[in-house]
Amino acid sequence: MAEEQTLGELLARYGISRRALLKYATYIASLMALPPAASTAMAEALAKARRQSVIWLSFQECTGCTESLTRSFNPTLENLIFNLISLDYHHTLQAASGTAAEAARLTAMKENAGKYLLVVDGSVSLAENGAYSTIAGITNLQMLKETAEGALAVISVGTCAAFGGIPHAKPNPTGAVPVSEVITDKPIINISGCPPIAEAMAGTLAYLIAFGKPPELDHLNRPKAFFGESIHDRCYRRPFYERGMFAKSFDDEGARQGWCLYELGCKGPVTYNACATLKWNGGVSFPIQSGHACLGCSEPNFWDKGGFYRPLSTATGTSGAWIGGAALAGAAVGAASAAMLRARKKSSTGEK
Amino acid sequence: MTPEARSPAGSLRTGVAQAVLSEIALLLENLAATGQAGAIDLRSLPLTEADRAELEEHLGRGEVEARLAVVGASEVWETAYAGVWWIRHLGAEGEIASETIAVTRVPEILMTHPADVEAAAARLQELIMLRRESAIGEETGNG
Repeated sequence: MAEEQTLGELLARYGISRRALLKYATYIASLMALPPAASTAMAEALAKARRQSVIWLSFQECTGCTESLTRSFNPTLENLIFNLISLDYHHTLQAASGTAAEAARLTAMKENAGKYLLVVDGSVSLAENGAYSTIAGITNLQMLKETAEGALAVISVGTCAAFGGIPHAKPNPTGAVPVSEVITDKPIINISGCPPIAEAMAGTLAYLIAFGKPPELDHLNRPKAFFGESIHDRCYRRPFYERGMFAKSFDDEGARQGWCLYELGCKGPVTYNACATLKWNGGVSFPIQSGHACLGCSEPNFWDKGGFYRPLSTATGTSGAWIGGAALAGAAVGAASAAMLRARKKSSTGEK
Repeated sequence: MTPEARSPAGSLRTGVAQAVLSEIALLLENLAATGQAGAIDLRSLPLTEADRAELEEHLGRGEVEARLAVVGASEVWETAYAGVWWIRHLGAEGEIASETIAVTRVPEILMTHPADVEAAAARLQELIMLRRESAIGEETGNG
């Protein structure tokens, strides 16, 4: 449950100093590209804030989003976020089960009415009145509606909750939709990715707790701090793209030399996420650095875009966008990708 | 194709270090003139490892170095230019979680927060009380 103590008092009880909070705020401010001076303001705001009640609902999902957030579980800088929130309901992580678990959700909803954050991972099934996915005898649809009613805001983590994701892929037998198609009267923040980057989830939560408002969002309601630039913009292989040097297969000389993976289907130019900068597994690597093209997992309809290994210069299926037969070199490709980006910015989520 | 260009870490000098040096110089002049502190977030800049090394080499090391054990390790040192501090926070795997050049008289991370002072004073009083009670207990037991 949310507590009356401030986070500063609570952390002091755990032996976590204000210096630790300042270090954490510096880390988050750096992640979110806030001015360095913002870290002091953030640390002070966090110290004065109350522990934030969070209800986490998991619907049509694979638990990868939860895995991403909780994977490293040492008392480290990266997971200090768990001291800032009171995770009042999460049916995978909580010790309680059955009636006791549901009672915890209902109690949190009552005690923190209008103040709790609702985190959702997974899409929502609408077919057959949502009968395809139920928890504790009620459909995901019903649980989402009743829990969202008293929420301060909704955070859709993962591409399934944000845009429908894999359950939404053709032929979508369960009628899966994103949270935003069910809940239309609450602020919604989308943190997409399959799974999303842990730092993007933690940073957004910390910002919300410190400043009581969402960070700046893009046209798909994603925090610009993490989704403001494309993978391609920040890719270390970009110089090869500019010079028209492309790997033609996964084991040719170009691939061994680390050339651009555009022709092998890389969706980096049309994918907005922070993989190329924050990377994965504590900053070790990201798919392109490991030799595989970007799948575009943080974008709507990524599963139905005509094939992971088909270059962007061929038809992309659902969007109808087509980048014609320009030679895959230098400026021509740059112009084509720019055209595609413009098309993307004009389009809506496209998840109908 | 140079081998450097293949490396994601990048051992190429891109010129960013020179630009950062100029910015530090401006911040330092401002600190001297007005006392106003400033900072540069190095993580937000496209620094290659070679750029970082170049910057570190130019700034050098000054009189103060500190290692912090605060939710993981941190390294803080004053560079050869008084008032220019390098602050490096490390994450769980020892990777750089954040890295800042602070242009200030003392970096905030080194100063003790008043709330921590208050908590420490209370804890110390508690220890003194416990020691006193324990001494009384021993005396009573001996008597």
